[in-house]
Amino acid sequence: MLATFGLGLCYFVPNPFIAMFFTSILAFMTFMPEYRHFILAVTPIAIVILQSFKEPLLLGLNLAVMALGIVLYWCTRRWPESRFGQRPVAFLLTGFTALIVFACAATPRSLSYSILWDLVGFMTSYIWFIAYALIDRSSKPARDLTLELATFHPLWGSSTVPFPKGAAYLRRIEAQDPERLAIVQLKGLKLLAWAILLAVFQNLWYGFFHGYLRIPMPDQALAMSVRGTPVAWHLRWECQILAFFELILGFSVMGHRFISFCRMAGFNALRSTYRPLSATTIIEFFNRFYYYFKELLVDFFFYPTFLRYWKGHRRLRTVFATFAAVLVGDSFFHLTRDWQFIQRDGLWHAIMGYQASFVYNAALATGLSVSQLRKRGHRPTGFFRGRLLPTFGVCLFYTLVIVFGSEGRQFSVVQTLKYLASLFFIRW
Amino acid sequence: MKGKQEIHEFVQSLLTGNGDNGSLADDDSLLISGRLQSVDAVEIVVFLEENFGIDFAQIGFDRDQIDSIDAIYALVEAATNRN
Repeated sequence: MLATFGLGLCYFVPNPFIAMFFTSILAFMTFMPEYRHFILAVTPIAIVILQSFKEPLLLGLNLAVMALGIVLYWCTRRWPESRFGQRPVAFLLTGFTALIVFACAATPRSLSYSILWDLVGFMTSYIWFIAYALIDRSSKPARDLTLELATFHPLWGSSTVPFPKGAAYLRRIEAQDPERLAIVQLKGLKLLAWAILLAVFQNLWYGFFHGYLRIPMPDQALAMSVRGTPVAWHLRWECQILAFFELILGFSVMGHRFISFCRMAGFNALRSTYRPLSATTIIEFFNRFYYYFKELLVDFFFYPTFLRYWKGHRRLRTVFATFAAVLVGDSFFHLTRDWQFIQRDGLWHAIMGYQASFVYNAALATGLSVSQLRKRGHRPTGFFRGRLLPTFGVCLFYTLVIVFGSEGRQFSVVQTLKYLASLFFIRW
Repeated sequence: MKGKQEIHEFVQSLLTGNGDNGSLADDDSLLISGRLQSVDAVEIVVFLEENFGIDFAQIGFDRDQIDSIDAIYALVEAATNRN
């Protein structure tokens, strides 16, 4: 099973020796599960050291950020009743924001400028991993910190979103005996096979629609509209619909790859993307589409807001917490994730460049709020009214809302709104 | 055990609402297993606030606390003893 997984891994890892290395690591963890946490903690650090030992400053900053995470985790355990212990994530995010402001204020091309921005880069890679370690403080105390360290830089890979959450979650889903491990690994192997199939399909998809049929990407179609030479109406719709499915495909392949490896390591994590097209509500789609990002927003923004504010007003507190999660949380996440824009354009211009994404987040928050409030009411039954129509509505909502989600940040709200209106033959 | 029965019925209604008609044991994982979602966790929180006077803003919130009927009941008992 491990050998088959290793072969499958070759599809995603260009160097077969690296795939062999990871397979050997998985073999060690399979046959010596008592060293699993240790291997998971040490291997990524060893890889970081090997990759950047020629650049001691970067290596030092990278290790310093990891050490900071461990120190902060220890502080929350040591002083749980202190102000920091009560709201560690709020302190962490405030500190991170302050670091970005300091970096913006540094003199360009000075040593402090370069150190501060490198630090911002490393903090961006680790911030949400550290945040998970900090909220894990309320879980049962761990016997050792190796798994916390392992989650800062997961061996199975990750985006800036922690896959799959923090060490406390990993402890709960870890296979405790050989039989469970075999089942989890089999699920991991199946998921990798599914990821490869989807990745092959994704390549064919791009080749056919964008290569052979030459349907533009949404950013290209929007740019042509802005230049005053819009593509045909049907092409604008086609590229939006394709973009919706491409988003699902892309996130599925990425999530399946990470989670399959995680399962092979012995952790029965839930998939990040799970049958999104079977969702009949906006909130259900959000949950099924990119589970671990949704969990991040829920854990760090939704719950803290929901549990503290507007307790006597159930609907209002749901809406308020949803806006806190999506409008504030999502915006903060993406603004800081793309810190290069801040470095290049300055804080204010980066925020202004993000305006279309603010609209995206506001529209998404509104949709999610309405969806949650309606969830409590009566839902129609039957295939057409209960399944097909709601699914179509959900897909249409996301197809339209992603018009505002351009990653390039080159279009204003007005330009994007004009483009959206043009899909419905409205011009101004 | 009246409280536990109430909790069981409430959780069962959430599962049924999600189209999950499978059996439900008191120690079954609800959130970590993926049977219930974060939206359902919110429903549980509101249910516990309204019916048992639990204030999560004061005691802190962790999904472990509401991951099974047993865990929820233990939380309710602890809150009752505190009061």
